[in-house]
Amino acid sequence: MSVLWILFPPLIAAALAGIRSGKAWMPAVTAISCLIVLGGTLHMASVVSAGGSLTAGLSAAWLSWIAVDGLSALILVLIAFVSCTAALYSIGYMAHGEPTSGKLRLYYANYNLFVFSMLAIPLLAEPTLVWIVVELTTLCSALLVSFENTSEALEAAWKYVILSLMGAGFALFGFLVLFAAMHAGGGGSYTWAGLVEAAPRMPPLLMQTSFLLILIGLGTKVGLVPMHTWLPDAHSQAPSPVCALLSGIETTSILYVILRLFPVMHSVPGAHAERWAVVLGLISVGTAAFLLLQVHDYKRMFAFSTVEHMGIILTAIGLGASAADYGAMQQIVSHAVTKSFCFFAAGAVLLAVGTREIGSVRGLIRRAPLAGAALVFGGLGITGAPPLAVFLSEFAILKAGLASGHYAASGLLAIFIVIAFFGVMVHVNRMVFGAAEGAAEPEAPADRLPFSVVLVLALAAVPVLVLGLYLPAPLHDLLVSAAAAMTR
Amino acid sequence: MSEAAKQLVVNLNALAAGLFLLTSFGIVAMRQARGCLQLFIAQSLLLAASAALLGLRFDSGHLYGVALVNLISKPIIVPWLLRKVASAELYTRREIDQVLNIPTALSIALGLAIGAYFLGVPLARAVGPEYVGPNVPIGIAGLLLGALTLTVRREALPLLIGLLAMENGAFLAGISIAHDLSMLVELAIATDGLIIVFIVGVLVRAVAKQVGTTAVGELARLREGPR
Amino acid sequence: MGIFYAFFRDEARKKNGTRRQRQVSERILYNLLQVLVVMAFAPLVSGVTSRLKEMLQSKRGPSIFQPYRDLWKLFHKDEIVSEDSSWIFRFTPYMVFVAPIFVTLLIPVLTSYPLFFAFMGDMLGGGFVLALGGFFATLAAVDTANPYGPIGASRTRMVGFLAEPVFMIVFFTVSFVAGSTIPYIVQQKWVTPIANFFAPSHVLLVLAFLMLILAEGGRIPVDNPSGHFELAMIDESKSLEYSGRGFALMKWGGQMKFFVLLCIYLNVLVTPWGLAKDQAFAGVLLAIPLVLFKIFCFVLVLVLIESSLSKLRLFRITEFLGAAFVTSVVAMIAQLFLA
Repeated sequence: MSVLWILFPPLIAAALAGIRSGKAWMPAVTAISCLIVLGGTLHMASVVSAGGSLTAGLSAAWLSWIAVDGLSALILVLIAFVSCTAALYSIGYMAHGEPTSGKLRLYYANYNLFVFSMLAIPLLAEPTLVWIVVELTTLCSALLVSFENTSEALEAAWKYVILSLMGAGFALFGFLVLFAAMHAGGGGSYTWAGLVEAAPRMPPLLMQTSFLLILIGLGTKVGLVPMHTWLPDAHSQAPSPVCALLSGIETTSILYVILRLFPVMHSVPGAHAERWAVVLGLISVGTAAFLLLQVHDYKRMFAFSTVEHMGIILTAIGLGASAADYGAMQQIVSHAVTKSFCFFAAGAVLLAVGTREIGSVRGLIRRAPLAGAALVFGGLGITGAPPLAVFLSEFAILKAGLASGHYAASGLLAIFIVIAFFGVMVHVNRMVFGAAEGAAEPEAPADRLPFSVVLVLALAAVPVLVLGLYLPAPLHDLLVSAAAAMTR
Repeated sequence: MSEAAKQLVVNLNALAAGLFLLTSFGIVAMRQARGCLQLFIAQSLLLAASAALLGLRFDSGHLYGVALVNLISKPIIVPWLLRKVASAELYTRREIDQVLNIPTALSIALGLAIGAYFLGVPLARAVGPEYVGPNVPIGIAGLLLGALTLTVRREALPLLIGLLAMENGAFLAGISIAHDLSMLVELAIATDGLIIVFIVGVLVRAVAKQVGTTAVGELARLREGPR
Repeated sequence: MGIFYAFFRDEARKKNGTRRQRQVSERILYNLLQVLVVMAFAPLVSGVTSRLKEMLQSKRGPSIFQPYRDLWKLFHKDEIVSEDSSWIFRFTPYMVFVAPIFVTLLIPVLTSYPLFFAFMGDMLGGGFVLALGGFFATLAAVDTANPYGPIGASRTRMVGFLAEPVFMIVFFTVSFVAGSTIPYIVQQKWVTPIANFFAPSHVLLVLAFLMLILAEGGRIPVDNPSGHFELAMIDESKSLEYSGRGFALMKWGGQMKFFVLLCIYLNVLVTPWGLAKDQAFAGVLLAIPLVLFKIFCFVLVLVLIESSLSKLRLFRITEFLGAAFVTSVVAMIAQLFLA
């Protein structure tokens, strides 16, 4: 139980949110549970990166199904961090529209269940159980995406559910084929570690098929092109704290499941796992960069940026060098903190001006200076401007790519990143600094932002800035042990 | 078991799988939502039958458990849950005009089924000598036909049925190649299926109330480009 | 027919031994007996079908021998032929009458071993001969310049050409499994071990062929055989203009075509048992009531189907036959998957 206990606070919070309906009670319970989980995951990460084992104290039957290594610990810490900041942010954001207590109850119950399901993904080591939890994340977040109950939100939630579950159907078959391959290869324990060990014995055709099925099936949920069509809709129509969770860490958690397959596929002849990763990753980055140029909605802009970053991480893993793996882990961290900050900023802008259209927002720096500044900071951060977090990680990836000889891939990656930079910054620039068109009538002052929103914007900006300057030693150790889990 | 009895069981399993494939085609083409649901129930019963027959052939208690779980959750609980959660209007809908007309959709479905044959038979052979029956190719066909249903249908209930049919197909293939998956996992997957029905039902009810139609496939207001 | 008999008897005599000669002449005899059985009992099947349908609707219904009385009455009536019609109109009733008889020579009706004319044509050939009769009927319907004739003829052609692929695929699959296209050989190889009865391709072919019989025989849900509304007729319109002897031949030919289709269906696909296995005359005679019993059971099923469905709208017939086509292709695929 020493590891499973972090799953309980969100469950308890969800149950409590479902029962009591006090308007101040639910956010507080959620925030407290997220803080407890954050503490627990940080402790776990410190144990793992020092080389200790976390699975002592479990009975043998369960032992094989739960495993926490460096990569899992990294994802757990990030889930905890983002859910914490988003929970604090929700306190102010959700109270803004004076929602009924029934709606708030729905929101917080689903929020906690969503966090619970995400936390379970890195903890479980048996692939079919992981598949079940991946489906659970879709189901728990569906009602969050449709929270605003407009027809666009409902359409987004519908597309999200259908496409994700369609992909999950293919992935289920992939996992079953993987299981069959394991048995055909002589048996073993059906866990990530067991798969890596049994991989040389398994029939190659079954492995290749299962890899492709899982890549495409779970890739739908990650947002890889061409299965990404639901992502801009769902990640823009949801309330901003939920967007932060979805974009910042949920897609990364699903990508984690795909990443677990790479050490397994390395010893299978003809799987070409790395090649698939580079191709799909580059296609995603390119398509997202070009689609960014023609968005009309600034939350959709950030959602496309998520597609781009998922592509970057997948390409980095596909490059195959251990320095690139390290860069990918760094990118995961920087993307999580920066993307969540971006959505917090977007939420603040939405609260200030009340519209999502880029064309209707001008001169934010005058109307709502705090929101405008946050938006600029977020835009610069997510597109990789120095000296912010994403710049360091992208630089590390490009350097590793060039060093390992993948000139074409690195070159394309750099070009696409630059295109995305221009795409985002043109929109952000016009929104924040642009002069208002038409008459020179004075613009109405924007609503004041709630205190928790401001607090979280300040808090979340810190890692974005700090990680762009240097990597603290504990984080570096964690990243090293995470990259070690990907050794092939 | 005698050789003749084994052969009979194998043939009955093949029959169940063949009828399963037929119901997958029916789900693509059936106009009425209620008919789609009845085809899905038939498909789940055939899946349970195939699991039970394979359990008889391989003498595996796990597969009997799979059959039982499928027998209870899909034909009984899924319609009941849908009726509770979603609006009653869902059951009375009928697709008057389709995305592709029915003969075209059926031709594409036939193409996919033949493609599933080419994909499935090498896969089945690679599993090992103890593999029996046409489950893997037909399961892959069920998967692909469920995905086709999701593409060509507009009404909410057929879309949900297509989703569940995909899982049925994956399962049909899975029971013949992965017999001893743990029972806990099977139960969890079945519960998962029920949660899917619940969430989709809630969403459809919200759509019906908000937008006024159950033809959820027609919603298409979010896109890029000039407005 | 006596000339044929004498000719083949002389041919048989040329081969060595009288026993051989007797076997061959017995086979010819049984072949002719098959034709007589079909001719004699086809109207009975039609009568039984309409009587059962009426009984299912809680009515009394006509006597099962009514079609015989109708034929007798029609043969004794005058025939009126339009002056504007051509030789096709006069020739068609004979064509429609003779086509099923030709097919009867090829298919197993009473015996399970091939008879004398069995190798004259296979199942595809038999199907084409049946289609020939229908083709002439369609031409005759257009020939008279009655407006309802061409309406019905074009609809019949539509149903026919949509049903063709199903016929083909059914025959191909059955021949693929049995390794031959001769009905007798197919029937022997198809269901001898009982396990093969449950093979998925078999069950699916039975389903597909049932839908085909509903389409080709002009039963509900494709067409209403007892309807009188000319605008809605599909199959019945081919005999609208006929009277007297021509009408009798068209009716009888239609009933024989249905009987022949049922024989192919039941004796080759569904229940290939109960046919005479050896050359004894008593066995062949015993086969007659058995075949009639099988047909009667099928008619019961048919009447139940007809009474519970409603007639499809015209453009829905494409979907119905599309479903039949898909079923037959699935049967073929299932056979491939097993092999």
